[in-house]
Amino acid sequence: MTQYVIIGDGISGSSAAETLREKDPDAQITVITDEGEPLYNRILIKEHAKGKLPEAPISIHDEGWYEERDIDLSLNTHVTSVDTDAKVVHTHDSGDLEYDKLLVATGGTPTQLPVDNSDADGIHHFWTFEDARGIREHAEQSDTGVIVGAGLLGIDFAAVCGAQGIEANYLMRGDRWWRYALSADGAEIMHEGMRDVGVEPVFDSGVDHFETDDDGHVTAAVDPNDERYECDFAGVAIGLSFNTEFLRGAGLEEENGLIVDEFMQTNVDDVYAAGDLTRFYDVLLGEQAQNGSWGSAKEQGRIAAVNMAADDEAEQFEWVSSYSITHFDFPFLSFGHPTLGDDYAERKYSDTEWRRIAFKDGKIVGGVLIGDLSPQTAFKQLMREQRVVADQKEVLLEPSVDLDELAPTQEQ
Amino acid sequence: MHMATSELRGSSLKLTRIESVSADATVRHVDQLESETLDTFYTALEGNRPITTAEIGLNAGDIIVGPEYYRVDLM
Repeated sequence: MTQYVIIGDGISGSSAAETLREKDPDAQITVITDEGEPLYNRILIKEHAKGKLPEAPISIHDEGWYEERDIDLSLNTHVTSVDTDAKVVHTHDSGDLEYDKLLVATGGTPTQLPVDNSDADGIHHFWTFEDARGIREHAEQSDTGVIVGAGLLGIDFAAVCGAQGIEANYLMRGDRWWRYALSADGAEIMHEGMRDVGVEPVFDSGVDHFETDDDGHVTAAVDPNDERYECDFAGVAIGLSFNTEFLRGAGLEEENGLIVDEFMQTNVDDVYAAGDLTRFYDVLLGEQAQNGSWGSAKEQGRIAAVNMAADDEAEQFEWVSSYSITHFDFPFLSFGHPTLGDDYAERKYSDTEWRRIAFKDGKIVGGVLIGDLSPQTAFKQLMREQRVVADQKEVLLEPSVDLDELAPTQEQ
Repeated sequence: MHMATSELRGSSLKLTRIESVSADATVRHVDQLESETLDTFYTALEGNRPITTAEIGLNAGDIIVGPEYYRVDLM
């Protein structure tokens, strides 16, 4: 009987456990998590923090789900190290677990700002359901806010402030939000969305240090220009540090994430990884890549499990990811790898509609759609087909994209 | 109340904007929808047109979190 151990009960770990049970009915499967609750919907916890969604619909699995599938779930369990020669997982106070195949799906932890008082009361980071509960509780009592981190995670704090009636300043280091993927035209639509909910973007700013009162609660953020922004609530989202400390000495290749191939295999035999913490080989991109979206993490977990159960390279990970922002009264969708590429096309259609497509070697590798998401299926199809279309930007920028308008693919 | 998909086959559904969600609701974010379902969802919103169960993987009573919250209702 094969023994599978999965470290992490996020969507990738849980998806892997479910797939393993389907593929290997007699196996022993153990899922270990340092969180105190089973899988929940991580993309909905921001709605809870905004005060719009109760807790119950956010939970996905209860402990009975694991019992029904004969999967051992070990909550509140901290893994201290892994011996990949002896194939043993060591935990803090739950003993050792032997494995035949191991999946690492431990995700990340929000990075703290390296400035004075960044650990003061009232300064929040946002990753777990428990974080969301704390943010909601504090936000409901707060009047003024500061947000740091001009990316996809930081904007969730802007939405929380807007929904909870907090007057906030959003301090950005550059001249616009998500400057790696959006031009000024696209970013300005997002800035207007922020202003509409009471959040003011502040450019060429950031945080030099936080000020606190005698009780250690944040009272202000001071930016590098010496501008002072009063706040009793602060949200920091400058990135993730991947949870791999327990792998020190295990021999796994790391480079800002765990390196895996398209089968989710690490460089160490019988050790796989899935989810946010991987740098996987993206077969569509032709190079290593990262992705933090829900769908990608779920699929990575499934693919890892298929290959673990097969003890073979049975199925490769091939996925076009999506990440939506649903905080404003217009839709926003990022797909694929919009910050990568060697060529771009973009167009503004109205004050709330904008589109950008990223190409690499003439093929679409990602993009951002604001306002009108209707071309997303066509663009994702072209990505999967790896079709060279960068020489036909006008067709791709038409308000309504008709793939029949594209010139036929040339034989290579 | 949830009905089995088979009971709904061939039925028309509509999206109704809602302001609050009950604790026993089934809630999904748009990022959990398949690409084609996402297309249908936004097309239905823009055109305010009905959708059929054959073209969308949703059940009556499901709540979808997009720019607003929407409940899938039987027409």
